[in-house]
Amino acid sequence: MQLGMRKHIIVRSIIVLGILLGIVRLALLFGSRPDAKVPGQYETLDQAAALYPDYTDVTIPPNIAPLNFLVSDSSATAYVARFAGEAGHEILVGADAGGLIQLDTLQWREMLQASKGADITVSIFAKKLGGWVMYKPHVLSVAREDIDPFLSYRLIEPGYELYRQLGIYQRDLTSFVERPIYENNREYADGENHCINCHNYRNYSAANMVFHVRSNHGGTIVVHGDKASKVQIKDSTIITAGVYPAWYPDEGQRLLAFSTNKTGQTFHVYHPEKIEVMDEASDLLLYDAEKNEVCHILRTKGILETFPNWSPDGKWLYYTQADISRNVDLTGPDSTLAQRLVFDYDNVRYDLMRMPFDISSRTFGQPETVVDATSNGKSITLPRVSPDGRYVLYTLGNYGQFHIWHKSSDLWVKDLERDSCYALRAANSSDVDSYHSWSSNGRWIVFSSRRMDGNYTRPFIAYFDENGQSRKAFCLPQEDPEHNLLLLKSYNVPELTRDRVQVSEHELRRCIYETDGENARYLPGRQVPVRDSADGVSGASPRRPATADATSGASPKQPK
Amino acid sequence: MSKQKSNPKKVVAAGVRTARPEDKSSSEPRKPVILPVIPLLFLFVWLWAAVYFGHVFRICREYSFWVSSPGEMEFLLSRSFGSLWYVGRMLLQLFRFPWAGALLMAFLLSMGSWLLGYAMRLRPRWRWVQYLPAIAYMAVVTYHGLDIFFEAETGRILGIPFIIVLVLSIWAVIIRSFSRKPAPAIVRIPGDETPWQNRVQLLVIVAGMLCVMGYNEWRRAEVRVVCRLMDAQYVQDWETIQRVARDNADMSNRPMAAYYAMALVHTDQVATRLYDIRLDYDTLHVHGMDWHANNASGMYIPEGSYHAGLIETSYHACMEQMVMTGPTVRLLQLMTKCALMRSEWELARKYLRILRDVPFEGGFCKKYGAMVNKPDLVNADVEMAKIRLTEPIHDSFENQYQQPTFMGYNLALVEGRSMNALYNSLAVCLYTKVMPDFMMRLNPIRGTTPPDNFADGILLCRNKQEGIENGFTGLNLREPRLDAYMKSVQPYLKDRPRYARELFPRFKGYYPYYYFFGNLKATRKSQKGSNLSSSSGVN
Repeated sequence: MQLGMRKHIIVRSIIVLGILLGIVRLALLFGSRPDAKVPGQYETLDQAAALYPDYTDVTIPPNIAPLNFLVSDSSATAYVARFAGEAGHEILVGADAGGLIQLDTLQWREMLQASKGADITVSIFAKKLGGWVMYKPHVLSVAREDIDPFLSYRLIEPGYELYRQLGIYQRDLTSFVERPIYENNREYADGENHCINCHNYRNYSAANMVFHVRSNHGGTIVVHGDKASKVQIKDSTIITAGVYPAWYPDEGQRLLAFSTNKTGQTFHVYHPEKIEVMDEASDLLLYDAEKNEVCHILRTKGILETFPNWSPDGKWLYYTQADISRNVDLTGPDSTLAQRLVFDYDNVRYDLMRMPFDISSRTFGQPETVVDATSNGKSITLPRVSPDGRYVLYTLGNYGQFHIWHKSSDLWVKDLERDSCYALRAANSSDVDSYHSWSSNGRWIVFSSRRMDGNYTRPFIAYFDENGQSRKAFCLPQEDPEHNLLLLKSYNVPELTRDRVQVSEHELRRCIYETDGENARYLPGRQVPVRDSADGVSGASPRRPATADATSGASPKQPK
Repeated sequence: MSKQKSNPKKVVAAGVRTARPEDKSSSEPRKPVILPVIPLLFLFVWLWAAVYFGHVFRICREYSFWVSSPGEMEFLLSRSFGSLWYVGRMLLQLFRFPWAGALLMAFLLSMGSWLLGYAMRLRPRWRWVQYLPAIAYMAVVTYHGLDIFFEAETGRILGIPFIIVLVLSIWAVIIRSFSRKPAPAIVRIPGDETPWQNRVQLLVIVAGMLCVMGYNEWRRAEVRVVCRLMDAQYVQDWETIQRVARDNADMSNRPMAAYYAMALVHTDQVATRLYDIRLDYDTLHVHGMDWHANNASGMYIPEGSYHAGLIETSYHACMEQMVMTGPTVRLLQLMTKCALMRSEWELARKYLRILRDVPFEGGFCKKYGAMVNKPDLVNADVEMAKIRLTEPIHDSFENQYQQPTFMGYNLALVEGRSMNALYNSLAVCLYTKVMPDFMMRLNPIRGTTPPDNFADGILLCRNKQEGIENGFTGLNLREPRLDAYMKSVQPYLKDRPRYARELFPRFKGYYPYYYFFGNLKATRKSQKGSNLSSSSGVN
């Protein structure tokens, strides 16, 4: 046989073999999945199927993406899930031994729209050695009210000191599409590394947005429509730059309240909470984005004010406050304050406060206590007023202000109309339940929880009914439910908006990399004259400017 | 062949003696030996990568992470050349078994050499040039030393040879398609080479590799030792760690000292054998991802904290490294163990799930997966049970400890969970030369014969606190040695840094030598501080 002929045969054999292998592979992929058909005969079990994530008996928005999940039963070789909704709608999904139940998005949407205000019954069948079994069915209650379709969050490794690659992303809740709003540099570069944090929107619309950039290219990024600008909110009297933001709700006013915090963190050696993030100083600022002017709202020594949030009518500014003069001797040197505070970290507690605001004169009235948590040995952070102004949703924990690391933290509500406080028991878990925000219709809340593994936060969504009670929360659905297991980052600061962020990543990159940011003009003497815990005179103790990264608890890697 | 005949010198290579034409005892001239250079290069590279550098490449693989799912590898794929590093990391997985990884590396380097020769149409007299890239590759790997994996992109190790071979293959195919130039033999002896040309090629390879290995022994000798220790630590082979460290006692670097200390902790020898190696810490050729000089603390702080019973601190250190470098097999394994030790079952399950997709990690997942939700199994594990003995009793914060935390915790806490914790604590006090803290902790062992290092420490403390030796037995047996030692080192005390290295072989393993001559850079640093007990500066 000629050499050329032999080569030809070899090449042809390889091609044929490749095609055969491909066919076998395809057969394995599709052939192992059973028909999505309810078995004719099955035994009914009294136990519920083990699902990941737990989507049993939850209330869901009619516009949510499919709730894909995993069923795990080591003795099962195949599964069928039947979703039975209103008006005879039915979806059948088959799965192999891996138990991955993935719904068809179009069928799911149709079913949800048809089942508004009704229940969907989910029955799961498993094929075992002795035949098919059916687990105890569970129910998905479909609410009438939609959730705001966009969820923004930051993806970052949980806590600790260093950061590297991170970004703010926006997820379309009606599908699985996630789009980066802004990502920092993917590759390590000494002069480029920067942290981004504290994204916030006005009135549930992404048209006005703010977030901070720390370290290289630092500044506060203010977004208006599709344009971004950088500002430096700094002054010798301001502790650090602006930190936790809150947009003033009136569309005609480009005002923001900020806290300014000197934050540090320390690491437990033998404690399930791992990290303690503490402020040693914090004040409140008012920033006018139109005029690029900033002034103090509250400037006190020994009293820490933080986490501002406006009422929807703009007449009240809510915030939390701790008096650390109870914990440490404030007459000692400022340089050792943090060290002294650490020894009493679990006795620092915050109350829920508010102060009236007059937009015409831009003046604040005297602060008043809304919830005295300290007297009950508790601590409040992150007040968020509901869109109808009736409820203040906050996080309650045993101590401190960074509840995202406190196992005791739970979501609580202050009903301003009935003057009562209560926990959202159905939504809470035994682990961390913290950073929360409202949907614009006030019927949904989204919050961060570490309930899945105690370390990585995942966004959970809960229905908030007309009686001010929540329903059981469910985890943000993913196309592949294992995503939650495989992802080594936390979801941070989940914020709902009605619309998509308009500004492009390119515009943000230009703004961050190519502009230095104009310094905001500081207007002195505007702060509210409140009593200071140390010397009785507000604003009487000028502070030295601090450089700590106050919000993320993260710092760029230092050269070793 | 005509050239061959005209050349009076004949080849002696690979132990084969060739015939001389003038040898009259031979009836006809023997054929000159021409060796197949490419297979020999393959063999040499295999030996280098599997035997000489096997532990190093195995650690490279531990410092890497690869799963087939692009979603999980997005952190890598989204970077420049991410796809190439993805392939490189995939190939690196073979170094789980160094012989297998070395086969691949040998294939890539020898195939690359052959293809280069073909693609460049090298004539036989220039064929030695084709081996230079392979030798250069080995030289670069050697030069970088620990930097090839520490805070580095491990995908480069095999990704670069892979892409070179790929490009050369395409190039060769194009040449073959258009010019029909015959390819030189790979396995068979090339027919167009003279013995001299063949000898030059072998000489280039052998000399090049000898130079590379010579350089490694001269300037990067610590690389193989440190990697061997790390490798042994992964399999909890404490005896090998001790043997290797003692065999290289004169070599001093922090990772080696840390792994040696871990082995001593696990074999209850921390009070007797700590000073068998030199503890002066020469500067290492290590740079982090920022390319600044680095003391390689990231190589041992996570493990050091874990083996010191500081599980949260270890987890913290792991997480910091993972933030900077992305996940690695080593970090995920350690974080799994931390989660199990702290009964964070769901967290352990998460890391095990991720590791399950990494090739060759089935054994680890099976062993530690069985412990999820089963604290009894965790406590029954030999390594974990030992570590449990030194876990703190009370919570406190890392910044309340002397740094690095895994060394300093014993100084901050006076309460321990067990005698092991007390022994570690006393050993650390001696190591950091903080004698007041050492004396403060002696009471629980009064009435016993203290281990050698403790006994020597007590004797050294006599001048600081009268009667400190009371209540201990057996001290008198060590007293004469101390007296003799003090007399013999008296002339050297005036210039300790100068004589420290010289005296080490004489007093290896003897604590008073370390007290006066060991770790002097750190001791000097500590003496500048105002508060010795809280800031000894020794770390």
